[in-house]
Amino acid sequence: MSTDGLSDADVMLRVKAGDEPAFDYLVQKYRRPMVSFMYRMAHNAAAAEDLAQEVFLRVYRSRGSYEASAKFTTWLYRIATNLAVNHARDTRHERPENMASLDEADEETGTTMDVADTSPNVEEKLVKQERLKAIRQKVENLPERQRLAVLMHKYQQMDYKQIGEVLNLSESATKSLLFRAYETLREQLKEFI
Amino acid sequence: MKCKEFSELMPDLALGVDQASAEAGEHLRSCTSCATRLDEIRKTMSLLDEWQAPEPSPYFDTRLQARLREEKAKTPAGWLVWLRRPAMALVATILLAVGITMFRGDFNKKDSGPIAAFPGTAVGDLQQLDKNHDLYSDFDVLDDLVSQQQEDQTANP
Repeated sequence: MSTDGLSDADVMLRVKAGDEPAFDYLVQKYRRPMVSFMYRMAHNAAAAEDLAQEVFLRVYRSRGSYEASAKFTTWLYRIATNLAVNHARDTRHERPENMASLDEADEETGTTMDVADTSPNVEEKLVKQERLKAIRQKVENLPERQRLAVLMHKYQQMDYKQIGEVLNLSESATKSLLFRAYETLREQLKEFI
Repeated sequence: MKCKEFSELMPDLALGVDQASAEAGEHLRSCTSCATRLDEIRKTMSLLDEWQAPEPSPYFDTRLQARLREEKAKTPAGWLVWLRRPAMALVATILLAVGITMFRGDFNKKDSGPIAAFPGTAVGDLQQLDKNHDLYSDFDVLDDLVSQQQEDQTANP
């Protein structure tokens, strides 16, 4: 399928008209960002994949009612945000306060949550793991909107306007929200800087 | 530019997606507090880079396709689906026709029965006579009485 010169909203309108390869194109384009967004919300690789798939299923289900009034990514992240927030609320009591140990392998993938570590020193490795654990914890402890805004800004490269549209905030309110969030993180992660 | 205004620019400046305007640059040079804060937020963002997310697993697409197939099998819902499946529509039509035929047959049978009539009316009296005739024709005792009367007449003329 040729999508040259087409915006994602145009491609989605093709999906609406029954063009199945157009939907595959959107899945391939956004599967990685969706999985990474959900991973940082759900803290679990398997749950992240399930949630990301659910996002695409909802996009498919809603294709008939899609209107290209907003950017496709805004619509996509609204769906993702709703799902992620509901999942976080539903599983709030299932997750231990301090979260899973970084040494523990993921139940399904068998991989550790840590990034690839090339340092030969065990002590350095432990320090790095502690640091990563703190990052995850501090982001997790942010108020819901601040957490979502940071994840979209820092990791999904979304601009203030888009984040504001997803969270139903003005651009100015989004800037303030993000500044407060980064200020909190700066204060709480000071010892690792 | 005031510190509050500058603070709102910090996230994008720290992330490197925005360049400081002339006004913001001037504020940065003159305000040590904001300069220090921006530097620390930059370092915090670098720290956040350590939190990497995994790539989608090789099964992601397969699972999604399976879920999509299930989704497609469910839709379209509603009664219109019958119109899109000729075999099911044909069976449904035949069942409907048989049902109507049976119902009408039963209805006609009910129609052929006797009409209820009130006693005392002409139709009621005729129906009563019919019933009596049936009763008497099967009443063996009456036959016995008739034959006994004939014997008595023969014996005592």
